[in-house]
This record gives sequence, C-alpha cells and structure tokens, in this order.
Amino acid sequence: MNVINPLNKGSGDTGFADLLKNGQTLKQYRDGIMKRTADTGYYNGLEKLALRDSDPIGYEKLFSKLRGGLVHARETAKKIAASPIVEQEGELCFTLYNAAGDCILTSTGIIIHVGTMGAAIKYMIENNWEGNPRINPGDMFTTNDCAIGNVHPCDIATIVPIFWEDRLIGWVGGVTHVIDTGSVTPGSMSTGQVQRFGDGYMITCRKTGVNDTPLRDWLHESQRSVRTPKYWILDERTRIAGCHMIRELVEDVIRHDGIEAYEKFGFEVIEEGRRGLLSRIKAMTLPGIYRKVAFVDVPYTHPDVQVSSAFAKLDSIMHSPCEITIKKDGSWRLDFEGASRWGWHTFNAHHVAFTSGIWVMMSQTLVPTQRINDGAFFATQFHLPKGTWCNPDDRRTGHAYAWHFLVSGWAALWRGLSQAYFSRGYLEEVNAGNANTSNWLQGGGINQDGEIHAVNSFEASSCGTGACAVKDGLNHAAAIWNPEGDMGDIEIWEMAEPLLYLGRNVKANSGGYGKYRGGCGFETLRMVWNSHDWTMFFMGNGFMNSDWGMMGGYPSATGYRFEAHKTGLKERIASGGDIPMGGDIDPTHPTYERYIDATAIVKRDKQCITTEDCYENHDLYLNYLRGGPGFGDPLDREIEAIENDMNQVFLLPEFARKVYGAVFTEDKGVFKVDAAKTKARRAEIRKERLARAVPTREWMKEERERIINKHASVQVQHMFATSFGLSEKFTNEFKKFWSLPDDWQLLETELGVPSYGSVHRMDLSTLPDVTTVVQCEE
Amino acid sequence: MGQQNIPVQVLGIDAGGTMTDTFFVRADGRFVVGKAQSNPGDESLAIYNSSVDALAHWNRKVEDVYPELVTCVYSGTAMLNRILMRKGLKVGLLCNRGFEQIHSMGRALQSYLGYALEDRIHLNTHRYDEPLVPVSRTRGVTERTDVQGSIVIPVREAEVRQATRELVAAESQAIVICFLQSHKNETSEQIARDFVKDELKKLGSPIPVFASVDYYPSRKESHRMNTVILEAYGAEPSRETLKKVSDRFKANGAKFDLRVMATHGGTISWKAKELARTIVSGPIGGVIGAKLLGECLGDENIACSDIGGTSFDVALITKGSFAIKSDPDMARLVLSLPLVAMDSVGAGAGSFVRLDPYSKSIKLGPDSAGYRVGTCWPESGLDTVTVSDCHVVLGYLNPLNFLGGAIKLDVERARQHIKAQIADPLGLSIEDAAAGVIELLDLTLSEYLRANISAKGYNPAEFTCFSYGGAGPVHTYGYTEGVGFKDVVVPAWAAGFSAFGCACADFEYRYDKSVDLGLPENASDAAKAGACKTLQEAWSELATKVIDEFVINGFKPEDVLLIPGYKMQYMGQLNDLEIVSPVTSASKAEDWNKIVDAFELQYTRVYASSARSPELGFSVTGAILRGTVATQKPVLPEDANAGPTPPAAAKLGTRPFYRHKKWVDAVIYKMESLLAGNHIVGPAIIESDSTTFVVPNGFETTIDKHRLFHLKEVK
Repeated sequence: MNVINPLNKGSGDTGFADLLKNGQTLKQYRDGIMKRTADTGYYNGLEKLALRDSDPIGYEKLFSKLRGGLVHARETAKKIAASPIVEQEGELCFTLYNAAGDCILTSTGIIIHVGTMGAAIKYMIENNWEGNPRINPGDMFTTNDCAIGNVHPCDIATIVPIFWEDRLIGWVGGVTHVIDTGSVTPGSMSTGQVQRFGDGYMITCRKTGVNDTPLRDWLHESQRSVRTPKYWILDERTRIAGCHMIRELVEDVIRHDGIEAYEKFGFEVIEEGRRGLLSRIKAMTLPGIYRKVAFVDVPYTHPDVQVSSAFAKLDSIMHSPCEITIKKDGSWRLDFEGASRWGWHTFNAHHVAFTSGIWVMMSQTLVPTQRINDGAFFATQFHLPKGTWCNPDDRRTGHAYAWHFLVSGWAALWRGLSQAYFSRGYLEEVNAGNANTSNWLQGGGINQDGEIHAVNSFEASSCGTGACAVKDGLNHAAAIWNPEGDMGDIEIWEMAEPLLYLGRNVKANSGGYGKYRGGCGFETLRMVWNSHDWTMFFMGNGFMNSDWGMMGGYPSATGYRFEAHKTGLKERIASGGDIPMGGDIDPTHPTYERYIDATAIVKRDKQCITTEDCYENHDLYLNYLRGGPGFGDPLDREIEAIENDMNQVFLLPEFARKVYGAVFTEDKGVFKVDAAKTKARRAEIRKERLARAVPTREWMKEERERIINKHASVQVQHMFATSFGLSEKFTNEFKKFWSLPDDWQLLETELGVPSYGSVHRMDLSTLPDVTTVVQCEE
Repeated sequence: MGQQNIPVQVLGIDAGGTMTDTFFVRADGRFVVGKAQSNPGDESLAIYNSSVDALAHWNRKVEDVYPELVTCVYSGTAMLNRILMRKGLKVGLLCNRGFEQIHSMGRALQSYLGYALEDRIHLNTHRYDEPLVPVSRTRGVTERTDVQGSIVIPVREAEVRQATRELVAAESQAIVICFLQSHKNETSEQIARDFVKDELKKLGSPIPVFASVDYYPSRKESHRMNTVILEAYGAEPSRETLKKVSDRFKANGAKFDLRVMATHGGTISWKAKELARTIVSGPIGGVIGAKLLGECLGDENIACSDIGGTSFDVALITKGSFAIKSDPDMARLVLSLPLVAMDSVGAGAGSFVRLDPYSKSIKLGPDSAGYRVGTCWPESGLDTVTVSDCHVVLGYLNPLNFLGGAIKLDVERARQHIKAQIADPLGLSIEDAAAGVIELLDLTLSEYLRANISAKGYNPAEFTCFSYGGAGPVHTYGYTEGVGFKDVVVPAWAAGFSAFGCACADFEYRYDKSVDLGLPENASDAAKAGACKTLQEAWSELATKVIDEFVINGFKPEDVLLIPGYKMQYMGQLNDLEIVSPVTSASKAEDWNKIVDAFELQYTRVYASSARSPELGFSVTGAILRGTVATQKPVLPEDANAGPTPPAAAKLGTRPFYRHKKWVDAVIYKMESLLAGNHIVGPAIIESDSTTFVVPNGFETTIDKHRLFHLKEVK
C-alpha cells in the first residue's frame, strides 16, 4: 500500500494534496481536533468512547496487537545497531501517531520522544510540507532540530507517513541517540559550543528518502557531517527497519479489523490516556499546591572551559522553581514561573523537550503503565514562560546537553509528587530526589583501530536512586531519564573506547545520608590506552547539589573531577611499581597521587564542566557517577545499616561518626557499631542542634538584610536577576515573601558580568515563512 | 497393554519444583507417564516413586524395568533452586585489583531482570539479590589485559599467592578466577590459576579452582564471572545429587549411564566438567521433543508452544535446528551459557485476571494462581479470578474431572467472582466477559507467536505448530486461529511432553570460544585464507575439549560427529547471528566466501535486506563446536488406521460450551480411547486425566498413527 501512486501528487508549493481525502489540509484537520479538544475538555471532543464502550474486548485486542508490535519492532531493530548507546543502553524508541501527529502508542525505551517526534510532525503540518516537499507513501523524513522540539541534536528521528488506500492515516517515528553529531567537539552531548551554530549537524524535517529508500545526497552529506559514520549508518538502518516493521503492523491490523475501527481507536486511546492520568492523580495524591525548586551550576569562567565567545565566559546558576497544583478532578498544572533565562551554553531546552520529556520520568512513578501516550499531555497544563531556559525566545540557543538541568528541574517535580504520595500514605512510592546523571565521559580522536572516533560513555545511566520513605535508594541503578539503567560490561566499553579500566567500584559517601540513604553512585578509573591525538572532557554538576533529599535526608554528594597527565605510569608498570587501581575512596585524603609521578599534572577540583583537552596514553581520567539523595533524619538510621555501609565501603567512618552519630570500633577493616554508645551520642547531637537553632522569623530577618544589601555571590545574583527580568510575578512574590521595599530591584547590568543577549533577542517564529508550534502556556 | 515381553528402552525424567514426571517408552513406541511429588531432600526417591506410578500401567516393577533401559535422561530444577535459595558453596573470587566490587555490584539490569514490563519501568519496585560471593571473600590482584589481547600490566605472583592464602583463611570452599579480557588472551589468568593451585598445594588445601578461561571463555565479564561462580557455587553440590540418583538406579540394576539435559539442547554426562549449563533444562525438553517429532513428520520448520500455569514459552525450529542464545539470564543473573532460545510471555492458564483500576482495561498476570487453579476451587483460598475460572464457566474444563478428578471445581463460585470483578464493571454478561478474557489471552499468544516467526524472517505458512504443556491443548485452537500455520499438532501426551523430549535428546557437548576476526568486504584472498586459518584453529581447540568429554564416558574419538558453527556480524555491530557452518573445515578464500554468504542469507531473513551492511565488512566473533554420538531414542507408536469414526466407548456424553456469544453442546471424548484415523468435528472436547483438548465449532481434528492430533480450521 505504501508505494508511490502516480495520481497522488500535490499540486505544487502552495498546494493542497488532499492527503486525507476529505477535502481538508492537514492543518485544517489538526485545527479541528484542537478546537474540539479545547471546546469540550475531551480529546477531539470524545466525551464518549464509543468503540471501547461497545466492544471493550475488541478495543483491548487492538491495543494489544499494536502495542505488542511496537515493542517487538524495537527489540528486533535494536540488534542492527553498532552503538552501545542504542544496543546496550536501549536509547531508542518507536512511536505511532495519528494523522494529526498526536501519539497513539509508544514502544518501551526512552519515551521522552512521545512528543518530540509529534512536534516535528506538527511542524510539517503547520508549515505545509504537504505542498512542498510533499508527503507521499514511501517517504522518509529526518529531524533533530532542537528549535522545533528536539531535546538535543544527538537524538535523530526518522519519520515515515502511513497511508491506507492512498489516504494518510498516521505516522510512525523512530529515534536513536547517536554517538556523535558533528558538533564543535566530539561526543553526543559535547561542551564548548555556546550557540546552535556549533551544536552539530542540524536537520529540520528533511525529506531524506523516497520509495522506502534513503536519498544518496542525504547519505553522502549526513555521513560526512559526523565523526562516526559507521555508527551513524547502522543507527539509521535501525530506525528505518523499525519504522517499516511498524508500518506493516498497522497495515495488518487494518486488514484484519478495518480502517474505521483503527481510526476510532487512534482517537479514543488518546482520550483514554488523558482519563488514565486523571484517575492516577486522584488515586495517588492529595489535592493542593506543592512548591519545589532546583538549581544547577554553570561554571564557565574557569580556564578549562574554552569557548569561542567572550560573552559566554560567565559563572551562573540555573533556576527552576516549580509549583504543582493538583486539582480536585485530578487534572494538574505545572508552573515554572520564575525560571532563569536561557544562556550561552548548551543546557537550554525547547518547551516540548519539557512537556514531552517529562513522561519518561512520570511513567517511572505516577503512571507506570504501557498505556502512555499524548493523553497524559492533554490532562496536564504546562506553564513555561517564554524566554526561560526551558522555553528560549532566541533562535541561536544551544541544546546539546539540555539534560544538565532537565534532570534537576524534573527531580524537583518528583520530590513534589513524593510529598503528595506521602500525604496520601503511599510511602512506598516516595522518592527523595534524583541523582544528577553525570559525569559524562566524552571525547575523541584516533582510536585503537586507527580511526577517527568519538566516545560517549553511558555509565551515567546507572546512578544511585533517591531514598524511598521505607527503604534505601538503590546503588548504581538508574537514571531519571531511564528506569532501566545499566552500566554495561567493561569488555564492551573497552571495544568502544581506547580507555583501559583500572577500577570500577561503588562510590563511597555519594548517596545522600538519611534514615534511608540515597543509593550510592559508582566510579571507574580509566587509563588512556592505544589512542592518538586523544581528547576528553567532563560534564556534570560540581559546585552545587542539583537535587536534595526529603524530610531531613541529605542531598547526594556533588561532583568533582580527577584527571592526571605525565603520570609516569608506563615506567611504573614496567618496573612493577605501585599503580593506582580501584576507587578514589576518600577524595579528602587521596591515594591516586601517591602512585603516579610527583611531577604529574593533576587536576582535582570541583570544575565538572570542561572542554576538549588533550590526553596522552597513560594519562588518567576518573568517571564518577553520582548518587541519589536521602530520606529522613540520619540520626534515625538503623545501627546495622550503618555498620553494613561501613563494611561495604559505602560510607566513610568519619561521616558515620559526624552525620549518623555512630560510635564504633574497627578490627582488621571490619567495623562494629556500639548501639548503646551511639544512642547516647545521638542524644548529645540532638541537644547540639537545639543549641544552634534560631526561630525562623529571626533567621528570615537576617536573610532579609543580606538580600537588601545584595550580600550574595555574583552567580546567585545573576540567576535571580534573569528570573526577575523575565517575570514581574515572580519578582513581586519574592519581594512580598521577604518584605522588601517597593523600590528594591536587582538588575543584570549592575553585576559587571557579560549580559550579551539579555535585551536583544529574536525568536524562530520571526523568521519568514515559519510557523512554530506552541504546546504550552507561555 | 500388558505385553510384558516388549522391553522398555527409554526413560525421560522431568523433576520439577512440585512434581517429578517420568516417561517410559517401550520398543514398540508405547509409553506411560508417571507422576510423584518431588522430594528436594532426596530426588532419587521421587524418581523411584514416579517410576513405580508409571510402570503400574504396564503391571511392571521398577526392579525388572531398570535393567532393561538403554538410555535415561534427567532434567530438573534442583540446581536452579540451589541458586535461588542461595544454598551453595562458600566461593572465593580472585579478580583484577580495583574491581573487587564488580560481582556484588552486579549489572544494573539485574535489579529488574525477570520483571513484567510495567514493573520494569516502575523504579521503586527494583531490587538487587544477594551476590553469590560477598566482597569479604573477594581479592584483587594487579593485572590488566587490553581489548586486543595485549598484556598491559602482567600479573604479579606475590599478590596471587597472598590472595590465595587470604581466601583459604576466609574459609572458601572453591576459588574462582576471572580477569578482564581473559577471553581474548588467557595467559594472565592461566598463570594466576597455576600460582593459586601451587599455593593451595603448599597449604595442603584440596579446594577446587575454576578459571574462567577453562570454563566459559566468552566476552562480557559480568556474564562470564557469574557463570563460573555458578559452576563453583552450585554445580558440585548438584553433582552430588545426580550421583545419588545414579547410585539408586544402579542399586536397582540399571546398566545405563545417566545423562542430564543441558541448556544447549543436548544431554551431557553427570560427570561432565561444565555442569552449570544444567541449570535450566525442563522447558528445553519440549523443544527437543518437537524437533524429533518434526523429523518423523518431515517438518523442518516448527513453532514450539508450551503453555503452563504461569507462562507461554515459544521456541522456533527452523531448517531442523533451534536457535541458541549465548548470553541469557536466569535466576536474575546474566550468564554466558548457550541456551536454546525461548521467549516467554508471563501469561498462562493460571494467570490472574484483573481490571486496571485506572483504565478499566483487562490485565492478565503477571502473577498466577499456580497449583491453586482459581476461585473455582473453593479450597484454594483465592478470590481473584483466573483464566482457569473463565474456562470452567464456559464449559471448557470438566469441573468434576480436573486433574483426573483429584479436585472438584465450583462453577457457581467462579461465575460470581467473574460477575463482580470483570463482567459488571465492563457491562458484559458473565459469559461474554469470560470469553473476552480467553480471546484476549489467545490473541496475545497468537500475536506473540506470529511476531517471533516474522522476527526470524519467516512466514507462519512455512511452519507446523506444536502445542503442548498441561494447559496447551485448551488454548491451541485460540492461539493458532488465523495465524495460517501449515499444520497444528497436539500430541496425546502433551502433559508429559517435556519428559518425553528429554528422552529424545542427543548426547551432545557444545563448546564456544570468542574470536575476533574482521575482514573488509573486498579483502584479498590471502586475508580471507588467514581468517579461515584462525577460525579453524579455534574449531580444532574446541574439538579437543568436546572429544575429551566423550572419552570420559568411554567413547572413542572416531565415534564423535563434529558440527562446526560460528557467530558473525557486520563489523562494528554488537549483535551477532549464530550460523551452522556451510563448510566442515576452513582454509581457503572460497571457504570464507561461503561463510559470509551463509551469514548474509540469514541476516536478510531476520532484518530485511535494507538493513544489510556489507560495506562495513564482516566479523566473526565466536567459534562453536558441537559433537554428538549416537544414542537410543524413543520410537513413536505406529497404530493401524481404525477409520474416521471414533469407537462408541470413546464418547462420554456432551457438555454445554460457550463461544462466540452462544452456548452449544460439545461432545466429550475420552482421549485414551480414540484410535488412529479417528476424525472429530467441533464442537468437541477431548479429555484425559492430565489435559483437555478443545475443538470448537469451525475446527476439526484427526488423530494419526503416532497418536498426534492434527487440528484444522474448517474452511
């Protein structure tokens, strides 16, 4: 069915192709759906689910066939890939859309792309792709454009239209996270570029194939636009094979159940998804307003951050206050008023990355179901003010590592939800926060096979998880963007990276302390090996906690970097001398430095974002993957749990003493905690706490003085200044809360730091012949 | 029956968690099935009791029959249970320095292995199991070999000796050695192994040493390490169990050498070196049995479907051979064992049926009632509806003859639960709700079957579907309807099919070895010949291992049939395909071309030709060698054709049966009384003590001379 029909030609650039065979353009069709949804509150006006109610079994059968087929296509197609990111980490996903680009069903995998590919389809609809370049059976479209909804450029999507009897009835999209996008520096989430123009090869819904065959100009251009063409080729074949399998599946289903049932299902399942979210919220939470906030550091003045633009040399903080309003009917509003402005770095996010991506997190906790689709989006009201980091108003913004702050922004939401679960009594669902999923080990050069290469370790998919209200978080287990985390086998990573492992172990003290501690992260020590002209860099949080615990639980440890050059390891290995192997167990009293030459160049600091730097063979690099935050007062932690943590080297003795009040003895490395003495010591600590405490009002008075005197670091002031600059509402709330004088203000111009872009900005929507798709309240 | 002069030749044993099945086959192809409660304390006793039960059908005694047997194959869950319950030896682990925690850390994916899809994404449900070896009994020694096999840091003798002493002091009962990249270059690990053995000798310690290079030398250290640990942890105690079984046979006059079903689909001696590969064997039996039946029927493409109480297992036999998965997971551990590839859906006859509270959709499983059947059995203590409840309500199952009448089922109780939990909330009648559940389950299963076949690049019309397992024949029509199989076969002994399959298995050893061969598409003839040489060397090395195993059991090297194979992929890919080699030995460029052609043919089938990528070049990632010797296998019955009309005695009456929104009267037949050639048109239900075969309207079945039912849709 999906072959070119010579009769089905569009009528030119301005043309109307009657793809739907109903006399409507795709845009008119989509407008109709949106209007009926807005008018009634039900998706496409579906107050009644006629198919589901009249034939619940038949409806379930359709669901089961389509969903099973999507999952199966993903499992089969992923074996084509060469990239461990796709094959081992499962960073691919396939999604089925109706003709308007609303998601019907999605496979497993990184389901953030439920909406990102939908946004691309909507962009094609709004910008008359049906007239030019036209949409025909057998076409393929490729997109990774972050200005129209992609999360970051390394997520490449292939989108294939589905026709039935020459009529467009839907779309299928497949996305993979590629290992390199040809940006300024190697790796999929590179640093160094500060604008879109350095972010890598950017493709805007381009027609890249006809008649089920990729076009040669596309193949030639795309493969030379990235550093790792081999991975690129097989990733594309993975996406195409999966999309075609799903297109066949849809054709099979229609042959069996009829087009009418299929199309009805395609609408009803979205409305059902909308209702599903409402009933989950009703069942699990308590209505009300929950407020949380998250921050992350952007340390760009350091000399190891080498950027091309002077105006990007700025230390700042990203700010994500969020207000969750849960209403009595189970609907909710997620409001990010007060968020800081986008910046000259790669941590900006399109609003669709936010409104779509958020379900990869929600499906781990609030809606752990296969029935996730755009219905959940329609049950949620998003407020993402234009100009913020999560809805930029300038077409120059960089997005390569949008996750740097998405992980923190969402973690705050999850904490808010956890509070709602806790209020309702669902303690088992509570998650005290999330790890900042870093470090990202990235770099490139000439690898062990003598080829131009880029690396991007995905060990970060296995960070520690946040503590629950009834148990500890899991060590090295998951990421907020992937509950099915996996660090993979060393022997596989060593095929992909010219970096010899010298250790892999649990990172002591990385999980946040608490009655239930956060899961610990882990760390791997690498020695550069068998490479030429090799470079690497770091990416993660360093100076700040990007999330914190609940009910007295501590945040997880922040990041730090360790790298060493001119180590003398070659000679030490040859002479049988001591060499660093294993963990950097106590960074305050480091041991690695004892086993390398005294003249080695060592960088051991909190600068966790750097740009491409040169590494010789025998140089060292520590990849430290973060832990999760804790829950509850550490003084309530069970004695046996502390003892066990010390004996497993999850907790350093000094902190068992200081934070948990543990009194213990040690015999040949085996710790024994004394219950009675610990109890007594904890009573003392509680008294010490009381002695230190001041009434909140008193403390606020002191803080107010500091605010009025602007007694805060420039980074903090800059963060607030950009938030104030974007939101009068936020400014007024801030001033009211702290009882500040009416004329108090904080402006970027008074801070003496670069303010390029703070006044003059130009959005993509101002380009000629461009209609952007807005999917939130701005 | 009662022809006492016909010798009994073959015994298959399936020692499951609750029941131990035995399957005896006579020289004339007649068989009996015996059942007895399993006895974890002494498996040999359960096998004896089950044998007594089986042979009673022929009025024969164990003491008389055991000496007649020429072959006996055991399969069981004892080893698996030992692992699950963490009741193995205290193992000490020697690994690279700096990696002492990697076994206890485990792979993150082990925190959700074995989970249903929805729990896999539900983070707070994830958990790790206890490691098999604690960090306190793990020691690291300085050593690193790189990915290409070069030794970067040589192993240090003093550290190995010191570690050995510490592991012995920590009361280790066995020592496992596993170094990174040792599959690529075994030198360091072998040196360490020899130091360990020498140090143990000095200490006068008799504990065994397991080096990964001697056991499972395949890439992926977490899989390899887990497997070698499993060998040390559980295999030796299991060998004791098997010895006990063998001894009891011998005490009763048996002359055969006991063999054990292994994960690769062949049987191995209980004396075999690698016993960890017997960890899972029961379900594999069915696949082997289907393969043998296929050979008899002349079917080389078979879809094996086994439906039990909790799961639906699918395996495919294509061109007469089954696929092997080389890095499977079991007992929530990633492993490096060749395992007959089977895919499972967590839905079976005992699955619970619930409405999702949020979407009102019907959910099947993932948990199941197991032996408690459903709410239709009042003594079960259950009040959640199961699939069996739906069957009982619709007349599929005889409430008075469940498990041969061992338990009586209460239809009305099931009706009320279905009404309250499913029918009323969906606005359906009880019958339509129950029928809907069955249809939905059958659809899930048939889609799964279809998807598995198309994922291998085939069309169902090329396949015969075999349906077995206790609950299989109830669902056979449902999950095969409309799929378009060439033939659908239900063996009369469906319930004992796994035990039967074990008895069919070849005496076969299989060894694998990682190799790294990469050649561009247009490599020179010299390069191709060079690659062939490397592959041939690997095959020769494996051949020695395989032959050695047979020699232990008294075979001569010339008795062994060797079958080489390899794993291949486009260069750079991470997934390979396993291919039976088109050449028996490799040396010339032409051999390489044949090796490549066989791979590309299979690749195109699996992934479609648009995914072919020859421009990237080809890699051989593994060499495989299988060796078999001839064994006695069961012969199938050859009955005379008794014509299409079933004997009057076979007809037991009728029972109301609901399907497609109406009640009809289904004719009930006694399976044992049906004769070869009998033809039955639905609606009919064919019952035996252990299984029920449903033939609804629109279907017909014929029993052939081998006592196989062939199910057809009436056009």
